[in-house]
Amino acid sequence: MERRNFLKAALLGSIAGAIQLKSENVFAGKKATAPEKNDLVAVMGGDPVTMYNKGILAMGGISRFVKKGQKVVVKPNIGWDKKPELAANTNPLLVAAIVKDCLAAGASEVVVFDHTCDEWKACYKNSGIEDAAKSAGAKIGFAHDEKYYKNVDLPNGVRLKSAKIHESIVDCDVWINVPILKNHGGAKMTISMKNYMGIVWDRGFWHSNDLQQCIADCSTYSKKPAINIVDAYRIMTQNGPKGKSEEDVVLAKALFISTDIVAADTAALKFFNQFREMNMESVAHIGRAEKLNVGTTNLDSIKVERIKI
Amino acid sequence: MMYKLLKRSRVVISLLILVVITLNFLYFATSETLFFANFLKIQFVPALLGAFTGSGIIFISLIILTLLFGRVYCSTLCPLGTSQDIITRFANIFKSKKNRRFTYSPPKNVMRYSLLALAGIALIFGITSIISFLDPYSNFGRICTEFLGRGEQLIQNGLSMILPESVSSSIYTTYVAGSFIFTASFLILIIVMSAFWGRLYCNTICPVGTFLGLLSRFSMFKPKINSQKCNHCNLCIQNCKSGCIDTKSGIIDESRCVACLNCMTVCKKGAVSYKFVWKKEHKEEIVIDKNTDKLQSRERREAIIAMGLMGTLLASRAFSLPRQINSTPKVTGIAPPGAGSIENLKNNCTACQACISACPNGIIKPATTQYGLDGILMPVLSFERQFCAFDCTVCNQVCPNGALKPLSLEEKKLTQIGHANFRLKRCIVYTDKTDCGACDEHCPTKAITMVPYRDTGLFIPKLDKDICIGCGGCQYVCPATPEKAITVTANETHKVAQKPTVEKQEKVKVDSFGF
Repeated sequence: MERRNFLKAALLGSIAGAIQLKSENVFAGKKATAPEKNDLVAVMGGDPVTMYNKGILAMGGISRFVKKGQKVVVKPNIGWDKKPELAANTNPLLVAAIVKDCLAAGASEVVVFDHTCDEWKACYKNSGIEDAAKSAGAKIGFAHDEKYYKNVDLPNGVRLKSAKIHESIVDCDVWINVPILKNHGGAKMTISMKNYMGIVWDRGFWHSNDLQQCIADCSTYSKKPAINIVDAYRIMTQNGPKGKSEEDVVLAKALFISTDIVAADTAALKFFNQFREMNMESVAHIGRAEKLNVGTTNLDSIKVERIKI
Repeated sequence: MMYKLLKRSRVVISLLILVVITLNFLYFATSETLFFANFLKIQFVPALLGAFTGSGIIFISLIILTLLFGRVYCSTLCPLGTSQDIITRFANIFKSKKNRRFTYSPPKNVMRYSLLALAGIALIFGITSIISFLDPYSNFGRICTEFLGRGEQLIQNGLSMILPESVSSSIYTTYVAGSFIFTASFLILIIVMSAFWGRLYCNTICPVGTFLGLLSRFSMFKPKINSQKCNHCNLCIQNCKSGCIDTKSGIIDESRCVACLNCMTVCKKGAVSYKFVWKKEHKEEIVIDKNTDKLQSRERREAIIAMGLMGTLLASRAFSLPRQINSTPKVTGIAPPGAGSIENLKNNCTACQACISACPNGIIKPATTQYGLDGILMPVLSFERQFCAFDCTVCNQVCPNGALKPLSLEEKKLTQIGHANFRLKRCIVYTDKTDCGACDEHCPTKAITMVPYRDTGLFIPKLDKDICIGCGGCQYVCPATPEKAITVTANETHKVAQKPTVEKQEKVKVDSFGF
């Protein structure tokens, strides 16, 4: 009996060993059928953290984008002095989850900042992002003074030829764009590209020089975000981008992650369109960015994975 | 011994109050705690002006305190008084021992009584300008904002260069030349006066000092020299920063005594002490000295006149008489929320700048001509660098005078301090035919909405003035040049705006991604 058991164990062990040794060969066939990784992942039906975890896993994990020892910037939307329930700013739980993930992947530091519209201290505090980011281990970046910005050329821009961009973006190794999906009175929608307005100093220039074109122009900045993570857990469907009350907010429970900023905004816009009619043509900056070869609006041309929780 | 202990406690309390009040104008100004702001309310002029708006008890307490022990306010509670003592001490370092000695000086009655009368009568007619130029607390507040506050900002900005990651830079308080020069001149005046003559300001210019001095003629306890014990060593005179002890006649002029207790502490014979003077006073005086009695009767008359002035003042405030004089044909300044009206602001504000240093957005600045002559230095909003935050009531919470009445957040959100005006022909959407919407973006009540503009496919701002609260967000952010397309005009009397509309939306059930 004992001998038989020993032989069985030995046999199983050797088979397992053989498989392990040759694992690359054994799974090679499977890998060949899926050689490229996902370009866009859409997640629906969970809380912000669960959706992020599933989504980033489907994108290949954060280590695909953040390497050991790198300086990382996580750039949420913290534009307004509003609490998280009003969906004017990126969900703090999502920001914290991303920060933790980056640090776990070995990032040497993670900076979180935004050039706010309302008074910055109030925005940082009342959005819940300062606390969430700090307790997740991130540093808070200051962005309320022109001295924190550096001049950057945008050779591919049509109207916006240069911009003063926040030093932490200019100096970092990787940055992650984390906007929230909202309706917007001026730009019609504010998603990933519009979130660039929080990395520049002079927004007034954009408003007075063809807003839609400037948004597209700025997205040609050579240092692109490694990924765009669109928070659509709560979405503001009207009176955006500031909103008046919770009546403007819908609990949509979705998240979009993409390496392609134009695709991320296209997907998010199509999702938004189900709650409130909004077509691609009126959100002109998305199409104009595609023309500038920033990304694609054709979601069929890229690898998309849809996850429902 | 007892007086030594008393004096020490006085010094400790006065320094504590000085520190707390100073801090209220510096780091703690914009913090959420109102702990420090409460100490502004125990100042005499704020308590007087706020007597019918919540500070009644404080005002009565200050009067009672004076009726008990004389001008304790001047030595202990007044931050400018304590500052003068510090300056005197500092100046002593550079003086010879002989020059440090104070001497007796006769009262400058004409000057002090006319300044008191001027400030008091102006106040009866609803003009706070004169008292605000002379009031020690308000002047101290201005020194804090214009000098110490800027110093603090300078240090913070220096630190933000050295430690860019942990110290944020700070914006400087808006520089208004008029206010800065006035404050600088006052500061020089007070430094010179206190460096050479101790509490001369308190006894010749300060209307609060003069009034409390008249009131202390009736005090229950007065400092007295016991002529039997006194050996005329003059030590008390040399230490009297008010210069109010006359050893020749053995009289302490209690109207100028700031109750600093120096004389009582230094007297080696124990000849100077507080005496209970309410009981046998009359008999003694008649017996001792007829001249003193005569003198006292004249002074009492003056004191009674001053009391009458105060009574009239209180009555005029109690019935809140309309302003008798109004120098401004046209008002262009926007008063902070809580002011109620520009008239109310002028009736109550002494320009201490507590609101200016408290505003987290730094949008309140001292007025020059925006309110007219009688509103000079008073707080006025400016939307050049920021706008009035929707969820903030700090300015009206810190105001010690009731010039800005405390508003609840809900009230503030409906307080229309001004109203926006939109000029289509300056708007980017009209001039450039491109999207903008910066004003709509910042509007907290959605008084501005973006509506389709003809058949251009563009959207243009539409303004609902009934919902607008005049916060200035639109004016601040409007990118149109050279002139803004949207600006806020002051409401002379603040109004209650209509509640923002609520757009109910159908809750759509969405199960798919839509692509």
